[in-house]
Amino acid sequence: MKGHCLCGAVSVTFEPAADKLSACHCEMCRRWTGSALLEIDAKPGSVAHDGPVKSYASSDWAERAWCDQCGTTLWYHLTLPGHDYYSISAGLVEDAGGLTLRTEIYIDVKPGGYAFAGDHETKTKAEIEAGFAAFLEGAQT
Amino acid sequence: MATRTGQCLCGEVRFSAEMPGISYGVCHCKMCQRWAGSALFAISVPEADITFSGQHAVQRFQSSGWAERAWCGKCGSSLWYRVTEPGPHHGAYEIPIGVFDDADGLVIEHEIFIDQKPDAFALAGGHPRLTQAETLARLGIAEE
Repeated sequence: MKGHCLCGAVSVTFEPAADKLSACHCEMCRRWTGSALLEIDAKPGSVAHDGPVKSYASSDWAERAWCDQCGTTLWYHLTLPGHDYYSISAGLVEDAGGLTLRTEIYIDVKPGGYAFAGDHETKTKAEIEAGFAAFLEGAQT
Repeated sequence: MATRTGQCLCGEVRFSAEMPGISYGVCHCKMCQRWAGSALFAISVPEADITFSGQHAVQRFQSSGWAERAWCGKCGSSLWYRVTEPGPHHGAYEIPIGVFDDADGLVIEHEIFIDQKPDAFALAGGHPRLTQAETLARLGIAEE
């Protein structure tokens, strides 16, 4: 898939890892995007980009990137050694890549005033963080 | 009026707003899609009713002849959409609901540019949904 930011200065190409969109409602994604991070997981090794990308280390294991010229949300990127994981912002690609929202995580901390329609696989904060703790433990060994 | 506070992800930019109400709009225009990743969920706050700290970190992009979009230059959080052109809509800050410390209690008033929304997702609820033509008519803008 090919995508670009609002001003066109940053372009990105990647292959989706799965045929779906996911939404993250965690507090960090909420503050960063202004709602939820609607994203496409990229296949490891498939991401290439060009242009003025700026990023912020939002935790010890990940960074968030945006276009330095127009402020467009670009991606969430795992910076742990040995991992190649990008969540690409769905808005970068035309028509959200023709994909459909299938998963919502941190569903229990989503602001109450809106909801995505339909039945999706959902995970709570506790479910995600238990899984992530196990993942980090594995990454350290 | 109720006061609500907020801050970007890294906390460099903070604000306090006297809220004119609790309802917000969701914009599905192509520009908001690209910029925010899904749609822009934002509540309008008059210029006189909001104060910011950390303005030094704010970066702006003039995304059209009539409006700017701002973000935190340190963490990339989307901060506002604002009409810069003189006229009836000038000055008010459209603040994304996610940057409020507590977005609970804020509700969708309407969705605009609904005909540009991808089929990928939809928002639940019986609120009004305006097409591009209906949105522009409401704003008093002639369609090109």
